Amino acid sequence: MTKKTTLSDRLWYLFLAAALVLPFIPGGIGNSFHGHVLTMVLLYAAMAQAWNIISGYCGQTSFGHAVFFGIGAYGAAMAVVQFNTLPWYGAPVGAVVAAVTSVLISAPCFKLKGHYFAIATFAIVEIFSRLFMIWDWVGGAIGLDYPILDDGWRNFSWSSDKNGYYLGALALFTLIFGVVRWIESHRMGYYFRAVREGQETAESLGVHSTAVKLSAMALSAGLTALCGAFFAQYNYRVDPPMVMSLDISMKFLLITILGGLGTFWGPLLGAAVLIPLQEYTRAYLSHLGSGVDLIIFGIIIILTMIKQPMGIMGIIRGVTRRTSTVPAKEGDA
Amino acid sequence: MSMVSRKRTLFVALCVLCTVLFAGSAFAEEKIIKIGTLFPLTGPSAVSGQNCLNSVLAAAEVINNANPDLNIPLAEKAGLLDGYKVVIVKADHQGKPDVAKSEAERLYNQEGVFAIIGSYNSSATKPASAVAERAKKLFLCGASSSAALTERDFKYFFRHAPTDAIESKEFTDYIEYLNKEKNAGIKTIGLFYENTEFGKHAADEGKKAAKEIGLEVVADVPFNNAATNLSSEVQTLKAANPDVVFGAALGADYSLWVRTMKQVNWLPKMAVNYCTGYQNPAVQKELAGDGDYFMGGMSFSPELAQKFMPEAIKVQEKYYRPLANQEFDSDSLQEGVMLLILAQAIEKAGGLDTEKVREILATETFVSPLSLSGEVAFEPGGQNVKALSVITQMKDLKYNTIYPTKYQDSEPMYPMAPWDKR
Amino acid sequence: MDNFLQVLLDGVLNGLVYALVAAGLSLIWGVMDVINFAHGEFLMVGMYVSYWLGFILKIDPLFSWVAAGLFLFILGAVTYKIIIRNSLGKSGMAPLLATFGLSMVLKNFCMNRFTPNFRLLSGTILEGKTLSFGGAIISVPQLVTALFALVVLSLLYWMLKKTRLGWAIQATAMDKEAAELMGIKTENIFLLVFGIGGACVGITGGLMTSYLAVYPEVGGLFSLIAFVVVALGGFGSIPGALLAALLIGLVESFSGFYIAAVVKYVAVFAVYLAVILLRPRGLFGW
Repeated sequence: MTKKTTLSDRLWYLFLAAALVLPFIPGGIGNSFHGHVLTMVLLYAAMAQAWNIISGYCGQTSFGHAVFFGIGAYGAAMAVVQFNTLPWYGAPVGAVVAAVTSVLISAPCFKLKGHYFAIATFAIVEIFSRLFMIWDWVGGAIGLDYPILDDGWRNFSWSSDKNGYYLGALALFTLIFGVVRWIESHRMGYYFRAVREGQETAESLGVHSTAVKLSAMALSAGLTALCGAFFAQYNYRVDPPMVMSLDISMKFLLITILGGLGTFWGPLLGAAVLIPLQEYTRAYLSHLGSGVDLIIFGIIIILTMIKQPMGIMGIIRGVTRRTSTVPAKEGDA
Repeated sequence: MSMVSRKRTLFVALCVLCTVLFAGSAFAEEKIIKIGTLFPLTGPSAVSGQNCLNSVLAAAEVINNANPDLNIPLAEKAGLLDGYKVVIVKADHQGKPDVAKSEAERLYNQEGVFAIIGSYNSSATKPASAVAERAKKLFLCGASSSAALTERDFKYFFRHAPTDAIESKEFTDYIEYLNKEKNAGIKTIGLFYENTEFGKHAADEGKKAAKEIGLEVVADVPFNNAATNLSSEVQTLKAANPDVVFGAALGADYSLWVRTMKQVNWLPKMAVNYCTGYQNPAVQKELAGDGDYFMGGMSFSPELAQKFMPEAIKVQEKYYRPLANQEFDSDSLQEGVMLLILAQAIEKAGGLDTEKVREILATETFVSPLSLSGEVAFEPGGQNVKALSVITQMKDLKYNTIYPTKYQDSEPMYPMAPWDKR
Repeated sequence: MDNFLQVLLDGVLNGLVYALVAAGLSLIWGVMDVINFAHGEFLMVGMYVSYWLGFILKIDPLFSWVAAGLFLFILGAVTYKIIIRNSLGKSGMAPLLATFGLSMVLKNFCMNRFTPNFRLLSGTILEGKTLSFGGAIISVPQLVTALFALVVLSLLYWMLKKTRLGWAIQATAMDKEAAELMGIKTENIFLLVFGIGGACVGITGGLMTSYLAVYPEVGGLFSLIAFVVVALGGFGSIPGALLAALLIGLVESFSGFYIAAVVKYVAVFAVYLAVILLRPRGLFGW
């Protein structure tokens, strides 16, 4: 156990160091398209990890995270567009609102089982996005468009290069992955796993499963909202189909599950494969005719689910299990 | 294992692909001008997006080839300046604002395009043109109709189409004309629009214009686009029974709307549409006679073109139809026009200096045989002040022009013939 | 009062259409506990089959639904063989995500092949036909689809309850291992169920072409409503799906007319949530 933790530790710090150095190397991020792709990889990895807290570690598959993502995006955008102030005020407000909303929604929904829970979270996304479409205070269907802001951390807005956004995404990534590392190595992780194994098991171990699930959901929603705020800042615009659609919810699932559900590295691996694939196929394969990029994307999803539903982590585990002599390890790490 | 190797192959393939593309841009330095296009080539508005792209491609053919048969500036000689060719780099924003933003960045920074033409959906045009403005690059817009786009005081943004504010004003002018000249007695109005960025903008402007001439808004019916049915929407309209309806429904929703009104056997006295399913000839063909008597704002129709812009018909037959397999429509045509205008500005500037070209775009008046008014000039903020649209009325699959009177080729049929008398 | 009757009838008719859309999904979900995320795209494919038959061979949707049903039976069976069978039981979400991938492939394949254009058949037998009923107007194409809904649902119900095949399906749904021990080839049952589920939605799509335009994105909202209908009715219950679909149709049409058209789906999803929280396994769930 301890040996394994240090390996994971070493990988973690190595990754952070490499990621931190990148923008300071010429051609590392700058204004390039791969700079955009890397920023998105970090952002989506962070989003997926936030989702992983409730769905992977706690076993409650949520299709509703687009709502929290959207609330976060609206938090930042409302601060900038409607209140003419800094996104730094909007983002935490969005996170708190998202966390509270998530608790209010989840408290009754947690008693639903399996696909019933999934469909209920679907419906919640539809309700929220359709309400935001007609809510004039938040811009309704027209959405909120950012004015042209000065570059810099104050406005969290850059146009000449992407280093700022990249570092911002890296900070989010570090925060969320750090939280999960902390959870994994503390008592909380044990509670989560107990809950995932089933309510009865958890209660018999003296874990108050509803409280654990709700706090995991609140944490997950709040962190997701921060990612949403970043997304709004990055795109200078927010409207409901853009930040609150089922498409967004599906992204959380696809990335995490492709990488490996309920694992620490899964969300990063999933994002590192899916996001470049999505961006580069769209950018460079569109001459094959419309939709070819999305067809390839779909085929890869199907293949993954057929061949290795445990995702990339499943493949890696398979390889290491075959090559190493380490006896059977614990399921999650 | 096979999965790993497959992934690796894919990764290598992608790397090779990128290298090839970058290399391609490296040794293609000579004599080309790259222009980016950014349209929804997939997703819900892909029909229009693909038409827009084809129109720009057709315009590029006009510029690149020697076309002595076309009476369009720059058509006669092959290429621009001293033999530069226009190369179109296309990108797809899928109807998503975030994709539009990152693709605009890629086009400018990675592909090195001189300017972008796009993006059809106003919601995508907004963030994409904000990228351009910040990077001090040109962004040319053909068809996005949201008035807000040219109210941002952007310096590098130019738009050809009349805004929904201009169109609304024209609709109400027409209503006043009918009331005065034809004793139409139009007092109440209903609005029927998709609850999206486009529909909401159009309806807001419509309401504003209607208030100015003292019409009473008796029905305000936004609907969810890509509808499964429009029963309650049409029932609401029917119950309020407005004299005139302003409509903003795209493609499939438009035909469903018309058919549902037929089903409940109701029509207003007059129905006028913003740039929508109404002006799509393919949709009209499928609606057959049911689409008759509806009206809409347009800046192109085959009938108008015959009379006022014969060159558009020539371009359509020579270059557009082979690509798109159909006729121009208002939206698509205007995107191509923007490329022709840009080419003129580049030619006048004598080179690829963004500031110089911008200056010329902002100050000069351009001859534009493919625009209804025949010329194009931009005011501060980027709106084309010569933008013109006319009101047409559908009859027997023909768009008859009925207003303004200057362009009129047939008398308006008012009120619409009820369903049982057709 | 006129309005009320019209709104009521619209609600019932739309509800029955939803029931027909949801029938196949309900069967698959009930027997296999799989959400077929490509359900909306199956509907779209069915519509294209019927559209092209109508456009090229001039076969009316009133007849071409047979072909659409057959085609979708095959598509469903192939989907099972290639995708579902290989992802089933590996992890809870695998079949759902695999069919999500399939939905992307189908939608974009049609986009690529048939262009994103809206296609509407004109001059069909039922086009524009209406009946008048106590001051309200009924659209005949929708009425026919609604009648089909009743027939198809009754047949499904009858098959499940009264035939040997139906008993085998039910046995498989309840306990796969036990069914296998009893000599039921569960593999074939699953294949058949997926095929029948596909056929149901194919028939729906085939009929709908007589009044709705076809385009690659047409399935979106329909599939969402179908999910809600099935979950509301309760896991694999055919009468439940019928009742739920009627409820959804009525909520949609009444809220659309008496509150505002733009909130009708908010009302639909909110009612669904309210009911499901009171009855966590749906109206007829076990």
